[in-house]
Amino acid sequence: MSSLQRSEDLRAIVPRLQGMGVVVVVFFIALLGRLCQLQILEGEHYTRRAERNFVDEVIVEAPRGRIFASGGELLATNRPAYTLYVTPIPRVTVESDDPKAPAVGSRVPLEDSQIEALAELIDFVDDDDRDAFLAKIAERRADERNGKYAFAVRSNLSWEEYARIETRRDSLGEWIEIRESARRYYPKRELGAFLTGYVGEITPEGLARSAGAYRPGDRVGKTGIERQWENYLRGRLGKRSRVVDVHGRSVAEPPPDALAALPPDENPIPGQDIHLTIDLELQQVAADAFAGKPAGAVVALEPETGRILAMVSVPAIDPNRWQQPIPRADYEAWAESPFKPFIDRTVQEHFFPGSTYKIVSALAALDDPTFDPEREIVCDRYVKYGGRKFKCTHKHGPVDLHQAIVQSCNVYFYTLAMENTLALDRQEIFARRTGLGERTGLGLNSETKGRIPTEAFEAREGTYQKGVQLNSAIGQGNVTATVLQIAQLYGAVANGGQVMTPYLVDRIETHDRKLVFASTPQVRRDLEAIVPADRQRIHQALIGVVNDPLGTAYSERLPNITVAGKTGTAQVGAEERRGKKKDKDDELDNPDWDTTKDHAWFAAYAPAENPRIAVAAFVEHGGVGADAAAPIAMKVIEHYLSRTSDPSSAPRRPSGVAPPLPGSKHPGDAPLGPSGPRLGQLGPRGEAR
Amino acid sequence: MARSRSLGGPKTRLGRLVGAVDWVVVSLAAVIIGLAIINLNSASASAWSGKIQTQIRWISLGAIVATFVAALDYRFLYRVAYAAYAFGVGLLALVPFIGILRNDARRWLGIGDYQFQPSELMKVLLLLALARYLHDHGGERRRRSRLRQLAVPALLVGVPVSLIIIQPDLSTSIICILLTVSLLAVGELSVKEMLGIAVTGLVLMILGWGFFMLDYQTKRIDVWLNPEAYADNEGYQTIQAMIAVGDGGFFGRGVGQGTQNALHFLPYRDTDFPFAVFAEEWGYLGTAMVLIMFLCLVMWCLNLASQARDRFSAHLCVGIAALFLWHILINIGMVLQLLPVTGVTLPFFSLGGSNALTMMIGLGVLLSVSRARKRKD
Repeated sequence: MSSLQRSEDLRAIVPRLQGMGVVVVVFFIALLGRLCQLQILEGEHYTRRAERNFVDEVIVEAPRGRIFASGGELLATNRPAYTLYVTPIPRVTVESDDPKAPAVGSRVPLEDSQIEALAELIDFVDDDDRDAFLAKIAERRADERNGKYAFAVRSNLSWEEYARIETRRDSLGEWIEIRESARRYYPKRELGAFLTGYVGEITPEGLARSAGAYRPGDRVGKTGIERQWENYLRGRLGKRSRVVDVHGRSVAEPPPDALAALPPDENPIPGQDIHLTIDLELQQVAADAFAGKPAGAVVALEPETGRILAMVSVPAIDPNRWQQPIPRADYEAWAESPFKPFIDRTVQEHFFPGSTYKIVSALAALDDPTFDPEREIVCDRYVKYGGRKFKCTHKHGPVDLHQAIVQSCNVYFYTLAMENTLALDRQEIFARRTGLGERTGLGLNSETKGRIPTEAFEAREGTYQKGVQLNSAIGQGNVTATVLQIAQLYGAVANGGQVMTPYLVDRIETHDRKLVFASTPQVRRDLEAIVPADRQRIHQALIGVVNDPLGTAYSERLPNITVAGKTGTAQVGAEERRGKKKDKDDELDNPDWDTTKDHAWFAAYAPAENPRIAVAAFVEHGGVGADAAAPIAMKVIEHYLSRTSDPSSAPRRPSGVAPPLPGSKHPGDAPLGPSGPRLGQLGPRGEAR
Repeated sequence: MARSRSLGGPKTRLGRLVGAVDWVVVSLAAVIIGLAIINLNSASASAWSGKIQTQIRWISLGAIVATFVAALDYRFLYRVAYAAYAFGVGLLALVPFIGILRNDARRWLGIGDYQFQPSELMKVLLLLALARYLHDHGGERRRRSRLRQLAVPALLVGVPVSLIIIQPDLSTSIICILLTVSLLAVGELSVKEMLGIAVTGLVLMILGWGFFMLDYQTKRIDVWLNPEAYADNEGYQTIQAMIAVGDGGFFGRGVGQGTQNALHFLPYRDTDFPFAVFAEEWGYLGTAMVLIMFLCLVMWCLNLASQARDRFSAHLCVGIAALFLWHILINIGMVLQLLPVTGVTLPFFSLGGSNALTMMIGLGVLLSVSRARKRKD
């Protein structure tokens, strides 16, 4: 065996060993230098980055403001709900022994099978809903930038869905998260459907317009008060932060340094509560009165103030339905329904006002100095004009203005039109002066203007003939109005001649009941009041309609209340009639729905001696006004007056005594309202007269 | 102190035993192992979980083996060097047949509950064999037989490395080659030659990067150079490790309080990145302390080498120094983003029984050599 002797050349390797020592020291100095750089010089930077890892800032949704009826009944409120969030490109956080598995920290887009597995747990209403769900995730997954973040893929999960997903969360993976949120709930269902409107997910266009104020998946008001007062109802988002681990789970006992690094929480500011002027009981009575009538509308308001007491449009869709995905079959049924359940018939649709318009014609005629209201015109069931017969309901014999309104004689007004007492432009002045042909200023549900023809308009349309003037005089031709406008018109007659802007929002309060905004009655100062003598004449005639045995609504009179009103039976245009007959009648077996029948109107106010309520009732294809529409209006009037026989108990704010508006310099101007009266719009025209 | 020298050393048995132990090595190792175990516990959620217990068992086993090796006369090691080497190669050769397949690689041999990587043990056994060969044949520097002189070490390293590389285990192979080069650097290679090797290696690497490397290897280099671009993929580990190190700051977050570690943002906390855990919890104070202790250990090895009685022990000491040095440099370099990510462990800090056992055996060899240097002939 070899010997182990200390050889001479061992001394030769010492310098080499010293050299090695130097190299080793250099290496270690390099490591120490790098550590110094990372830990001391750049330590702050990395501490920030570490915080970014574990600080999870969750946006806390503010509870949306509630909507109340005038008696404090809830029309819209919030209920706890669950929202499903999905991260389409999640990070792998679990260390796997399988070398083929993606490394920890890498982002791997979800497999289709994973998404399918999640979809299995959700109750879809139909295949479209399911496809939309899958497409939503797939689209987000294709977006490399935003796919890394969780997004709300389905809101308002049912309790069963929540439980199903939550129990399988561990096997599904960390890309699924369920957060608590709130869903909108409308306890009164269809009853307030068009008033409250409903909320729904914000559209991409809305999102772009909001300039960052909303996040994708946020729910915003789509119609009604929810939409009109969105900014008040919405509230302000809060923030809450927590310490999470790499799996995104909240940590029970985080290191103290981590807790200290959390940014302070910001509490959400709840949205403001809106109190409507709606008398819910009256609303219910009005809705019930439509039993057996598939389509129509009622508006009841306080003539003195313009407060809307009831506003019903049938049919309506339960706004709670919009909180869940809607099966395509249901949606298509609604969209194709001849009853048009999407349309708010009080403001969104305009109709021939028929004979209810005759008071406008009467006002116009009374303005003509040559017109004698006492002059009797003989009604012979029709007049001939320009080769056409203009018919009346029956032969009225000699009638003066009073009787013409009481008995709703068309020939009387045709004759005035032929004599040019009721020139189209004169009609138009008075129609406008009573609020027709223009939005009322309620601002709800994209209100339509209706249409009041002028000669220029008719000329433009190419429909101008003298005959149009005749038809206009009885609320046909090209004259159209919304139900709300008719209610406003009769309210103006009731209160002595002044048009009031109708309003629906009584006041707005913060969640802790501080007053933010209170409505005050708005007189349409831009509209000239009706001359008192003329108003008195028409008032008497309207009383006669219901109380004169010859009156068209005599059969509907109430035993102990003097009602003043006017029936209307608006003929459905011949074109419309033909078209509808062809398309719809075959499919429809509803005996209450005959599209050849006229639209029924009844507009009234009561009690006649001191009107406290004005009502306009409209039944689409209801037939004769007195039969179809008048009972509805009478029920509303009767209920309202019997309940509030003592005027002091009526829910009314005395006009002119407005509570102070915080942040508003001119309490009377109602600057907070989204749309006020359009001052001066009609001024020049009025003067030109 | 002067007394013991002048009076001819301690007389009692205990005194002789105490004097025979190299307390520099023992105390450095004890402190490092202590810190490493505290750190490992932190890295496994401070639960004194099964992993820690296994690691402690292995280190205890290693301590026993080290004591045994230290008790041996290093001349015995010289005698059994080739046999031990052959034993190691034999174990390695068994691995492809009866090895345990895990993660698509066959690296482990199992005895009961204990699983063992022969490639780790091979590092020490290779050192023994090379030291013996270089003792027997090295140092002559005869120009004409130069090629033959280097051919045998090349063969000695080539056989185990080729067995290791088919497992596959690239990082252990690289360590083996680096160990060989380190040993050759003591007496066989001139400075010029070493520079030549370094330059050639560098050029080959750059060429390889450009032309020959597999895609995933090229990518690994890309990730190393620019981890932020791969933050959602391969760069994640590197970035999280850097964040952990930087988050420690000067004083550290405190044991068990590092967010990167405790909240598990840092992956592979107990195998590849325990130093990042340590850096976050102990700060620069801790990392500098551990680095200086490691430096002391390596320098002490070189010191022992310079005092060695013969070429065998000198090479052994340099080999053990290299064993520690390369592991430390590559692992910490990786954590600090000075090197690309590889699977090289940090001695004692990384979880792994075979590695701990190997390092303990290395220390045992060191103690044995150190004991011999004081003995008078």
